[in-house]
Amino acid sequence: MATFSNILTSAVPIALISFAQTFVVISRGFDLSVGAVASMATAVASVAMVHGVLPSIVLVLLIAVIIGAINGVGITKLGINPFIMTLCMMFFLTGVNLLIRPSPGGYIPDGYKEFLLYQVGEFPLTAFLIMVATAVVGSLVLQRRRFGREIYAVGGAPERARMSGINIDQTLLKTYITSAIASALGGLFIAARIGSGNAEAGAPYLFDSFTTVFMGGTLVTGGVGGYGGTLGAALIISCLGRILQFLGINIWNQFIVKGALLASVAGLQLYFTGKGRKAE
Amino acid sequence: MTSKMRLESSTKQLLVLILALILIMVIASLVTPGFLTYRHLTMVLYCNTMLGILSLAQTLVILSGGLDLSIGSIYWISTMAGALLMVEGDTLLPALACLAIGAVVGFINGVAIAKARIPHVVMTLAMMISLTGVLYVTTGGGGHGRATEELIAFSTGRILDFPNISLVWILLSILFYFVLRITPFGWRVRAVGSNPVACRFSGIKVERIQILVYMLSGLLAATAGLLYLGWARTPYPTFQSGAGVGADVALKSIAAVIIGGTLFSGGRGGVERTFLGVLILSCLCSILLMAGLGVEWQIMLSGIIIISVVVVYSRAQAA
Repeated sequence: MATFSNILTSAVPIALISFAQTFVVISRGFDLSVGAVASMATAVASVAMVHGVLPSIVLVLLIAVIIGAINGVGITKLGINPFIMTLCMMFFLTGVNLLIRPSPGGYIPDGYKEFLLYQVGEFPLTAFLIMVATAVVGSLVLQRRRFGREIYAVGGAPERARMSGINIDQTLLKTYITSAIASALGGLFIAARIGSGNAEAGAPYLFDSFTTVFMGGTLVTGGVGGYGGTLGAALIISCLGRILQFLGINIWNQFIVKGALLASVAGLQLYFTGKGRKAE
Repeated sequence: MTSKMRLESSTKQLLVLILALILIMVIASLVTPGFLTYRHLTMVLYCNTMLGILSLAQTLVILSGGLDLSIGSIYWISTMAGALLMVEGDTLLPALACLAIGAVVGFINGVAIAKARIPHVVMTLAMMISLTGVLYVTTGGGGHGRATEELIAFSTGRILDFPNISLVWILLSILFYFVLRITPFGWRVRAVGSNPVACRFSGIKVERIQILVYMLSGLLAATAGLLYLGWARTPYPTFQSGAGVGADVALKSIAAVIIGGTLFSGGRGGVERTFLGVLILSCLCSILLMAGLGVEWQIMLSGIIIISVVVVYSRAQAA
């Protein structure tokens, strides 16, 4: 049960940050800044939470909206390649994070930690509820809301989306803002888990977010996929980490496994869907 | 007519780059007296040789419409493999082994990207993480092995008071300048980068070109790794949490290529621009350092610089 609890709590940040990446990948983009946005959330929270928990959460989310908007405007209005735009955002944020929090530490209130890591018996209730909430919101927005359907349209066939009257720029802008908000929420949860701020805490999640998104069946070519698969993959990745740990496989071997996993997942999905050949 | 105009605009861009470099150097010499001495300038070249060769490799990949994030980890793998193999005292065989490792890793990247059609960002990111694992499993991190005396003598030596390894960098740049300009291979690399579909219809073996480019990139990265080995003697790989080993230098190489004005979407640009890009990037970083701003400022400003360069170039292109 303790293991189950651990798997669930460690899956929450992966689920939230993959939420961000799922939206962006469906819209035929990449967001390399998700990890840095999560780190920003931990760094800002660890500095600001002295002055109150709620205001600092609002502050973190506001910053996230601004970051997402800058990404979105850069990509749509200035026509910068999403990879370059979000890479530069990652650079910029990493620098800012290191200025805010040069070394790991800072103050995260106990009440905040206890609330997010609240357990009934050994069942992590808050973590479970967050997972359920992200699942509901993610699937609902993507499947039932106008915004979600527009993301699919833009990612699947941008030209046809434009002709049918969808404002592509606005959709992409909203997508990147959503991505930044979800990553920041992931970062806020990481802050509770590690109980401090860390300018590089979010970096490993960038890699995991790609693995979960592709493993969950969202196509790298955009326009196809969903959040349900990503969430399942997030749980699998979280389990996998525990299994490798139980088998006594050291952390560096896990890197080899994870790298091979990402490459094979991306390769296999293209092979099975035939998208790889179609691209020719 | 149009081709002539394009040529002119690209020459203009090159002139702007050179002017920018001169301006930055003048500012640097104002901040630190002694910047513009021969001794110091060759030192700048010397310190940026490894980055320069990696950026050269990155230029080839980006010109072909790809991207190689694993370039930094190939560089480190080659350095560490060389250090471990050279303990016996032999130089030539370990060096060849390192180059072979680089080429094989590049080949795997190339096949996965060209044949299995995995997006280059995803494949090379996965490769970077895997190589990080391999590196630490085989060495356990920390410093291991030692370069042979011959390699150390070569890497730290000077010919006619000019650093050997910088000469290698310059010669490689000149070589690839002509390879890209004159040979059919170079022409095809740029063609594949600007329009792969048209290339396929006109009978160019796109896959083969892509695989070759990634192999070359691995080979060049391994070369840079060997040169670094001779410099560092016993190398210590630095691991950044989360990112793989060598992620910093891989990102720097991309930055240098973009600052040089090679189009990120492929097809246009060249190694001569990247050469200037590397120098501009390094001089900017050293100005920041001399102004007392730390690494975090360098990281932050490099993000802003790349974006502004991209915007300026795309505006210039549209105009």
